[in-house]
Amino acid sequence: MIAGSVAASLVLASPPARGWLESSMSAQMLLQLPLLAAIGVCSASAIPAAVRGALARWDRWGISGLLLASMTSLVWMLPRALDAAVDDVGVAAAKYATVPLLIGLPLALSWGRAGFVLRGVFLAETIATCFRLGWLYRVSPERLCSNYLLDDQQRLGDWLMVIGAALFLALMGKLLLGRFDFRTDAQAQEGRH
Amino acid sequence: MAALTMYPESERLSAGERAAFNLYMISAVILFVLMMLLGVIMRMAQGTWLEVPPDLFYQFLSMHGAGMVGTMGMVTTAVMWFFLRKYVNLHLWAFVANYVLFLLGALCIIGAIFLGRYAGLWTFLYPLPTHSMGMWPNASGAWFMIGYLLIGVGMLLFYLDAAAGLIRKYGNLGRSLGVQWLFGGTIDPEHPKAVVASTMVIIANSLGILAGAVVLVMYLVGIAYPEFKLDPLVAKNLTYWFGHMYINATIYMGVIAVYELLARYSGRPYAISRPFLWSWAASTIFVIIVFPHHLLMDYAQPRWVSITGQIISYSAGFPVFLVTVWGALANIHRSGMRWTMPSRLLILSMFGWAAGILPAILDGTISINRVMHNTQWVPGHFHFYLLLGVLPMALALMYHVMGSYRNQAPNSGADRLGLPLYLLGGLVFTLAFLAAGHLSVARRMSSHLPEWVFTDQMGAAGAILVLLAMIYFAARISIGLLRGPVSGHAAHAAA
Amino acid sequence: MDTLRTLLLSLLIVIAGGATLGAATDGLRVFTTESARRLAVREHAVRVPDLALQAANGDQIALQDLRGNWLLVDFIYTRCQTYCSVLGSDFARLQDRLAAPLASGRLQLLSISFDPEHDGPAQLAAYQRRFGDRGSGWLAARPLDAEGVAAATRAFGIRVLDDGLGGYVHNASIALVDPQGRLVRIFDAGQPEVVAAALQAVLAQ
Repeated sequence: MIAGSVAASLVLASPPARGWLESSMSAQMLLQLPLLAAIGVCSASAIPAAVRGALARWDRWGISGLLLASMTSLVWMLPRALDAAVDDVGVAAAKYATVPLLIGLPLALSWGRAGFVLRGVFLAETIATCFRLGWLYRVSPERLCSNYLLDDQQRLGDWLMVIGAALFLALMGKLLLGRFDFRTDAQAQEGRH
Repeated sequence: MAALTMYPESERLSAGERAAFNLYMISAVILFVLMMLLGVIMRMAQGTWLEVPPDLFYQFLSMHGAGMVGTMGMVTTAVMWFFLRKYVNLHLWAFVANYVLFLLGALCIIGAIFLGRYAGLWTFLYPLPTHSMGMWPNASGAWFMIGYLLIGVGMLLFYLDAAAGLIRKYGNLGRSLGVQWLFGGTIDPEHPKAVVASTMVIIANSLGILAGAVVLVMYLVGIAYPEFKLDPLVAKNLTYWFGHMYINATIYMGVIAVYELLARYSGRPYAISRPFLWSWAASTIFVIIVFPHHLLMDYAQPRWVSITGQIISYSAGFPVFLVTVWGALANIHRSGMRWTMPSRLLILSMFGWAAGILPAILDGTISINRVMHNTQWVPGHFHFYLLLGVLPMALALMYHVMGSYRNQAPNSGADRLGLPLYLLGGLVFTLAFLAAGHLSVARRMSSHLPEWVFTDQMGAAGAILVLLAMIYFAARISIGLLRGPVSGHAAHAAA
Repeated sequence: MDTLRTLLLSLLIVIAGGATLGAATDGLRVFTTESARRLAVREHAVRVPDLALQAANGDQIALQDLRGNWLLVDFIYTRCQTYCSVLGSDFARLQDRLAAPLASGRLQLLSISFDPEHDGPAQLAAYQRRFGDRGSGWLAARPLDAEGVAAATRAFGIRVLDDGLGGYVHNASIALVDPQGRLVRIFDAGQPEVVAAALQAVLAQ
């Protein structure tokens, strides 16, 4: 699994893939960053149980992990950071390392520990952020990233709003009509002792 | 039937719960008195009995609006919590977190207004908070909105905890709302009306809070980066979506007290029915999409949105309102109702809600809205249902809990005097607003034409009566709640 | 115990995250590359390297030769239909507003093309005429080759993107170079009155 994750990261970091994924703002934010985070999510299963147990003691209710993922995401939402990741090899390396390890991985490890309320706050904030960023990209009269064109930025704004709306509808559908399994909560309760 | 036990064991407040409940209720009655005091000052200023400079007037108006709406939200949240905790597992931490965040938010708002001179009102129109023409610094606008965000986050925490409880017990929110019984099937007669109403509020108000979380942060970004210009109409729609939902949620949380308590005082079961479920399911959707009726005067708004707003505003409040008032009337008709403070307040709330909805529906009509959507008719309408409808619902619960401490419904001579005073003052106060609104088009808060002064003075007189009654209620309730259960009455003895 | 540990870790995460965010935004002051560049220039003047250019009259000049005067520099390409047209009229209006220092030679306006293949001396001269060159103190020039373009844009932090329509998108701004040859300020395009006021203040010192 680790090998697979490393291989996937290398594929994404290869010049052709990187060139394509960073050719537009939309591709970088909607494909590259999510794919990197997904690599982190997938590598969670490779973490040995002993390490997981140790981590769990520092991550009650998943708070630390979700906080880490949120803070890291905040950094990679800065237009300046997106620019720098294209122009500067060091920042690019930081992106390839931190998005899987500090966003994807903690999300995967902490989600199961998080209770209903924390998950709800996290999802609501994710949806709201999609709408806020989308709205900003739509109305900004200037290019926020020096490396990308204005129409690209506006298209990304549209996409973010569509994604926000889709997430919202999915969440509402789940809450209103879905099936819920509270076993994860029970596990979290056991984990406390 | 268990519902007919006056003070059921399941409503007993543990020591921690009682402390939290008291914090909510006593803070609320104190805030109500203070906010009413501001209201009296403003009406007296309009009636030329007092001289208040315009900038201070708008600060008072901002404080009164935000303070009343927020306090109404807080106190009705406590009503919802009090009854919902009997049916589903609620965590006290979520209830307390909401209170703490509310207080922090209130501090931000009070600071923004009285230290920062913010005077852009409780629902502000873009770009007002950020373009004050030098009346207040941008930081004040920012603090005001941060206050809102804190209050919103607190409410969201409470709602999410309640949603978790509902889902754990009923499977999902659709089932707790009762949609599985809309088209047939045997309705579980024990399905609590409090659960149905709470579900509706959680769905609708969370949506409003989400809209607020988006638009308030966009305002904040706009303060830091003025080059980001929002579409004023979109900003207004979202602001009103959020504001409308928040204040409407107070009715739907408050009415839980009627559902739960009325049957106990009338001594007759108040059964759940298919029309009841239909009305709540319909209102869940309507209340989410009815907000455009606040924007009927915005000519830039697409026509279809305004027309939808008018149609929905006819139908939005109606289902729940009809089914509730009809149900309440049927419940008390020839029931040998025991007339004590809680039951009087419950009946008053039904009257206030019923009568208050009429001016709302009139104002929701585009052709009338064009002339009567003014600074008198609109407050006339919402003061009617908030002052005479929603607040009595919350007061009824406070009196009921006081009764539970002594196993006897409160009904002192002073209570029997205070309530008519409140009703009389409230009627004079709200009817003065409505009369003035009917008489005049698009009045301005800052001008006092001689023709307007009479209704303003009537309103001020009514407001003074309400304030006096409220001061009495606040003192009586604070003392009664703090005194706690009398030993010997086991029903509510502290755990 | 677990709760305390989690609280401690969360606090550390918030502090570390806040520090990273603070560093990445220069203390929440800049969020974009462009604003970061402007702030950096204001706080620490950047030495501009010497650049070899060809002026609209065909003469070879070096940036070095212009030292000793204040210099306002913008980047253009003459076929531009959008931003550069703002810059062009900005310079013409600055010629009016700053006529005295331009006449005395204390100040020089310089437009550099980042598209030397298309922008020969004739095109540069036509560009100046099109925007109403008042005939004093405004040089238009092009680097001699692609490397010269790269050196110039790098020195001034200009990013040029293909707009997909045969033209370019670039940051439209006016850079101020002091008599020691250091980049000290960057102004927005489209606000010649702001630039003129700032220059008058600088020249009065």
